[in-house]
Amino acid sequence: MQVDGKEIEFDKEGFMLDPNLWDDNVAAAIAREEGVEQMSDQHWSIVNYIRNHWKQHDLAPSVRMICKECGVSVRDVYKLFTSGPARGACRIAGLPKPDGCV
Amino acid sequence: MPAPDDAQMVFAARRTLAAAARGLAAYHANACVKCGLCGQSCHVFLAEPQPENLPAAKAGEVIRFYRRYHTLLGKLLPALVGARDLTPQALNQLVEAVYGRCTGCGRCGLHCSIGLDVASVIRAGRQILAAVGKVPDGLQRTVNNQLETGNQMAIPRDEFISTAEWLSEDLQLETGRKDAVIPVDQPNRRVLYLVNPREVKFFPLSLSAAAGVFTAAGESWTLSSKIYDVTNYGFFSGDDAAAGELVRRVVEEAQALGVQEIILGECGHGFRAFRWEGPNWTRQAYPLPVRSVLELLDEYFAAGRIRVDPAKNPERVTLHDPCNLVRWGGVSEPQRRVLGRCCANFAEMHPNRHNNYCCGGGGGMLSMSEFGQRRVASGQLKAEQIRRTGAKIVATPCHNCADQLLEINKHYKLGVEIKTVVELVYGALVWP
Repeated sequence: MQVDGKEIEFDKEGFMLDPNLWDDNVAAAIAREEGVEQMSDQHWSIVNYIRNHWKQHDLAPSVRMICKECGVSVRDVYKLFTSGPARGACRIAGLPKPDGCV
Repeated sequence: MPAPDDAQMVFAARRTLAAAARGLAAYHANACVKCGLCGQSCHVFLAEPQPENLPAAKAGEVIRFYRRYHTLLGKLLPALVGARDLTPQALNQLVEAVYGRCTGCGRCGLHCSIGLDVASVIRAGRQILAAVGKVPDGLQRTVNNQLETGNQMAIPRDEFISTAEWLSEDLQLETGRKDAVIPVDQPNRRVLYLVNPREVKFFPLSLSAAAGVFTAAGESWTLSSKIYDVTNYGFFSGDDAAAGELVRRVVEEAQALGVQEIILGECGHGFRAFRWEGPNWTRQAYPLPVRSVLELLDEYFAAGRIRVDPAKNPERVTLHDPCNLVRWGGVSEPQRRVLGRCCANFAEMHPNRHNNYCCGGGGGMLSMSEFGQRRVASGQLKAEQIRRTGAKIVATPCHNCADQLLEINKHYKLGVEIKTVVELVYGALVWP
């Protein structure tokens, strides 16, 4: 994928290989792949929270933390990110694929 | 584990091969007549019909080693019978065949013209690779997470407890019942319930739904904040020592809490691992019953402990059968009786039950990104099966299948919703 002249590479699941190349435009481009044409404030608030949590803890936050920090319900999260918090929101936030059954 | 040198590696691989061969019976390891019928039964081969994807060929990669060290002709004239030396290079080449091209779903074994248990031969290959530290990274990390943190997603214990409290608050609001809670670490309850950490971390509605149904049934139950993971990635990786350790911990925790029964949440391989394989790994019979939550739900209905109104689930619902629960685990009817009561419009997909197709996400495939494209491609058959039912909701009693189905839904544009069985029961509940 080309974003602003940068070549962004993904693993075979579509997660970024080099999370350092992530920025808002890359996020918006992945979001379009996810069927989110225009990132809303709610989308950004969740994506930025996941991103910051991951930077601090090297771990994706749980959906409870996302809901608490961003003031949304679980069902809102699934509506905003139809692939769910892991394959949807975490992928847009440029995280590597979370481990396990997701 | 430090990287073993080549000689040590080959020694460990041969020792594991010999042990696995004893467990398999030589018949399965050396009787394939190469008829090729297995291809038509395999979702990977049907999606990508290359010779390497033929089940017999995948198993053949393991069988070559067996032949080299355990048959007379293989010892004397290896080249003549396609026998192969176990070398570090040969082991590297085995990885893709047994982890990347096979989910161990076992459908080929069912259709094999001479009844070979192909999937178990593949797992013997995984056992050999696990013994020499050649399990794909993502899968090995998941096993390590389980051994080191007690759950496959490395969820901190306080986060688990906070999530249970948070879900309880929402559940009480939703049901209007003060007793609708998710109990944690309560001693002397009847049931210890195990869940998929995916529920705790990303998809908690199924855990809330189970708590709601248990409340309606007046069940006495608890989760353990230490041991709640129903999955067993040692089973997938081929590491029997790790798999056995995970089983032992669950049994110990059940005894420490003083429960009378272990109920396994909706998870295909977790059911097979804990219900059937566990005692083989630990060499000990269970001191208490271990059952699937589907059997418990079925029992609630039979005993009249819960009531539902199918009109609350009016859309057409179909059911995906997880291979490890149904073909390998023998649980096929409870979920059908339960859905029959909860859904106004239920339609089977075909083929189904023991003859179902794998969704493509089994065998630990979801944790191995390197095989992601093949995984999605091999879900094509399942997508077509679902589309033919005209269903709006696909129920599946397995969180691993659910994740693969979510992705298939998106990739093949099916426009369906994926739910676990307990979510549909909860949605149809009529509260006493």
